[in-house]
Order: sequence, then C-alpha cells, then structure tokens
Amino acid sequence: MNRHTYLRAYMAGITVPTILLLVAATVFCVARYVYDVPVPIERVIVFPMAVVPNLWGFWNMLFIASHTRAHLAIGLHGALLVLVLGPLGFLLTRILDFPAPHFVLRVLPVGIPIALAVYYLAWKYLVGFLNGVLGIA
Amino acid sequence: MNQQNGMELRKLLKQTITPMTPTELQRDLWPEMLKRLDRPESVRVPWFDWALAALLSAALLLFPGVIPALLYHL
Repeated sequence: MNRHTYLRAYMAGITVPTILLLVAATVFCVARYVYDVPVPIERVIVFPMAVVPNLWGFWNMLFIASHTRAHLAIGLHGALLVLVLGPLGFLLTRILDFPAPHFVLRVLPVGIPIALAVYYLAWKYLVGFLNGVLGIA
Repeated sequence: MNQQNGMELRKLLKQTITPMTPTELQRDLWPEMLKRLDRPESVRVPWFDWALAALLSAALLLFPGVIPALLYHL
C-alpha cells in the first residue's frame, strides 16, 4: 500500500471540496437563476470549481510530504490553507471585476476566524478520515 | 583433571541456567485479531472541537453573510 502515496493524498484532498461544490453550485445557481440575484457568479465560479479542489489536493500532498519532519496536526495544517485561499479568492474577484455583495464584505473580518474554524474541523475529521481510509495517515 | 573440571563446569551451568518455560501459545490469537480488525473505529472528538463547532454554529447564525463567502472558498 506504499505505492502512489502522493496520488492517494491528492485524491483524498480533493474529495471534500468536490462534494461540497455540489452544495455551493446549487446555492449559486438557485440564487442567480431562480431568485435573479444581480451578482455575476458565473464570472468567478471557476475558483470554487477548479482552484479550490486542486489546492486541497495539493495541500494534502504537502501534508503527507512534510508530516515526518514538521509533525503539524492535520487540522492546523488545513486551517493554514485559508491563508492561501482567502487572498487568492479575493484577488480573483478583483481581477475579474466581480462586484462582491455588500453584506458579504461587511462580515469579512468575522469571516476569517469562521473560515479558520471550518477548515480546521473539515481537515481534522473529513480529510483525516479519508487519509486513514486510503492508508496514508 | 580436565575431565573432572568439565564435569564440574557442566554441573555449575545446569544449576545456574534455569530450564526454559514452554513458549508454545495456549490458544490461537488470530480470530481475536480478525475481530479487532473488523471492529469499526470510533472517532473521539475532544471537548475543544465540540466547543469550536458550537461557536461556529452560533457565529454562522449571527453572521449569515459569511455563508456565501465560505461556499466560495470551499
């Protein structure tokens, strides 16, 4: 079972955001096309669809590669991903001239600790479980 | 003289080294091992994580505006 460790780590990493993408995409589509929310979500949908899952996979590969030396808990390692994805997502909205809704921008300072907590729990219990299933942690 | 020494040495060795106890297993351990492997692993959640999850739920209820931003980053 020691073969293709990094491939298995990548697959375990992308599973959680790929499943959650179904929820996110449904919410976005319903908001946009059913309730006619005047926010061009399709302009930035590439971020949760492609960038986020791939970065989760890459981040899990990084966890497996660094675990023997760094000994950082998987929850904390996952929470650190917020510090990469957060600015990246924000940068993309600026580049693509995406008008973020005002109510979202208003709660952004509260959103950072919330995102850290969500990522910590998701990585500790979901990605950690998948790593265990695939025999890499 | 040498033969006598040898006999004495043998006697001393027999006295010093205790005979080995039987190392054979009394029962087969493999069925228990299989049972253990089949047992579902229980996930232990520390109190800190429960508290964090509770705080998180409260925060999401208080600031629902965070939810779209979270969905964008998940």
